Amino acid sequence: VSAGKILVVDDDPQIRRVMKATLVGHSYEVVEARTGEDALEALPREQPNLILLDMNMPGMGGLETCRAIRAGSDTPVIILSVRNTEKDKVAALDAGADDYVTKPFGIEELLARIRAALRRSLPEGGPRAFQSPGLDVDFETRRVRAHGEDVRLTPKEFELLRYLVAHAGKPVTHRELLQAVWGPDYGDEPEYLRVFINQVRKKIEVNPAKPKYVVTVPWVGYQFVGPE
Amino acid sequence: MIAKSLRFGAALLIVAAVLALDAEVQVNATTAALSLLLAILGISAQWGLAEAMAASVVAMLGFNILFLPPVGKLTIQDPKNWVALAAFLVTAVTASQLSTRARRLAAEAEARRIEMERLYALVQSMMLTGSARKTIREFVHRAVQVFGCSAAAFYYRPADEFVRSGPESLVVSDHELRAEVEVDDISVDAVRGVALAPVRLGGRPLGSMALVGSPPSGQMVRAIVNLVALTIEKARALEDASHAEAARQSEVLKSALLDSLAHDIKTPLTSIKAAVTSLLGSAPGADRELLTIINEEADRLNRLAAEVVEMARIEAGKLHLEKQPVAVADLIAGALSDLAAALKGRPLALHVPAGLPAAEADRDFAGQVVKQFVENALKYSPEGSPLEISAELKGGKIVIGVADRGPGIEENERPRIFDKFYRGRRHRFDTKGTGMGLAIAKGIVEAHGERIWVESEPGQGAVFYFSLAASAGGRET
Repeated sequence: VSAGKILVVDDDPQIRRVMKATLVGHSYEVVEARTGEDALEALPREQPNLILLDMNMPGMGGLETCRAIRAGSDTPVIILSVRNTEKDKVAALDAGADDYVTKPFGIEELLARIRAALRRSLPEGGPRAFQSPGLDVDFETRRVRAHGEDVRLTPKEFELLRYLVAHAGKPVTHRELLQAVWGPDYGDEPEYLRVFINQVRKKIEVNPAKPKYVVTVPWVGYQFVGPE
Repeated sequence: MIAKSLRFGAALLIVAAVLALDAEVQVNATTAALSLLLAILGISAQWGLAEAMAASVVAMLGFNILFLPPVGKLTIQDPKNWVALAAFLVTAVTASQLSTRARRLAAEAEARRIEMERLYALVQSMMLTGSARKTIREFVHRAVQVFGCSAAAFYYRPADEFVRSGPESLVVSDHELRAEVEVDDISVDAVRGVALAPVRLGGRPLGSMALVGSPPSGQMVRAIVNLVALTIEKARALEDASHAEAARQSEVLKSALLDSLAHDIKTPLTSIKAAVTSLLGSAPGADRELLTIINEEADRLNRLAAEVVEMARIEAGKLHLEKQPVAVADLIAGALSDLAAALKGRPLALHVPAGLPAAEADRDFAGQVVKQFVENALKYSPEGSPLEISAELKGGKIVIGVADRGPGIEENERPRIFDKFYRGRRHRFDTKGTGMGLAIAKGIVEAHGERIWVESEPGQGAVFYFSLAASAGGRET
């Protein structure tokens, strides 16, 4: 039984080889693409569950490819890059990536990140829906309407919103939020939250600079403010 | 000579013709005198004083004989005679002087025009050459053609270089040219036919030049010197600008090369590391050890590549800092979490006072310094010995320190441990590390405009410190 189909996009053939061998060994199905252009072409045909995307490729490059993927797909994307500055990470997340792994990496770390990215549902007991005059979220059908318009959240954005709504009225710390949405190996990546919270706000808030729903609790984390 | 005699003859003939005409038409004495005066004026203006004076005497004699009564007889005693002669002579002298001056001025103007034309031609040809050196070479060769000198020489001081038009210019020695740089004004030696001049721009010496043969006037030499100085300076400015541009481009290239080098080293390491960690997951005991070695060495190679590239970037002044307020506790926590595995079994004391202001720093790079300090402390202190990390506000600066209980650092070694590739005497033969860690830390701290130092009591341990600016913004909680 396949644990999921992964599209590996990297211009280096050796990296594709080792990824294929390793991921297949862990019950994933692997398809390969050599460039961003090839990846975009393969995407509708292969319908992968996850994309491992190299940042530094000839042609359109990882960031641009990621943006192009996001224009038409919610498939989780993990960017792999030799650069490890915060600026590069934020750029990748801003481009729509779900996660960022620095090369070279241990395979266990990558597998953990892949599992985290593939995790779609939170433990049971969350809210089924949230309704207020300006915002309408159905967590079962994953539909979000803000100010009368349908908005599309990526899976990670959606999980983020769901966790915050489930704890509405209480501040949620950075670490708690990271571990809930990304997985237990996370907690020291506040820049992930900065990027994703901004994206959620852009999609559901009237004025993202002065958020009404998802508010920042200084030095602690974030809090969802319900209608009450 | 012949021309001169001809002119005398002609002058006398003109006077004779005027006299004959006056006699023929029977004019009165006044008219005759006036017509002679005109003739003398003309001769004087046209040919010069001598001819006019000769004509004056003849005119006086003719006038006396033909027009002063008794007509047909020379009456020298008559005062009218003297008046006429005086009038003729004064006219001759005055007119000749005026015309000579006019002629001289015209000749001078013409000479200057020609010199200006030559100077212009010289400058134009010099302007077209690219570098200062080419400009000088062009000058030396053109100066000979343009000014009709037999040779020219130039001493270019910034390069301590002599440029000569040919062996004829050796009349002026290198030594003379060099000495001329210090002299204030030009010197023209008419006997040797040498003009020497210092070449300066705004008081700054550029060199000196010499013209040999028939050098132009002093004024001309001065003009040449000024123009040459300007032209050379312009060429130099152009050269400097293109050097600066070339240097900038080579910096850009270097930076791009460093990036691609880092990428090219890390790409194969990625395959190696992924493969070996994958094998490690399921390897039996004996292979495990070998695979672990590959894994660790891949990490080491990766660190080494990163450090080499970073060191190169620091040395090229290419460290790009993005300063922002950073909570010091976060900085330390980040470094500690990166080193969590290595810190196992080490008692750790953390002293970060509540209310410490945030630091104004690049989060990544400042975190790297803390990490380097902690790694260093781990490396040079006995296993299981405690570490102490502190941060405090001192004189407006945030000072972060990492203390170990290692052997400490001898006083004479302290300044050198931040040098690239330096290893303490005791650890010279340890193979761990690249010897670049502290040098990189120093580069990072200095790029922040801050200070890095070490305090140590040999035998008791060492404390590494660095300072960061306190952020003007909010306080840390």
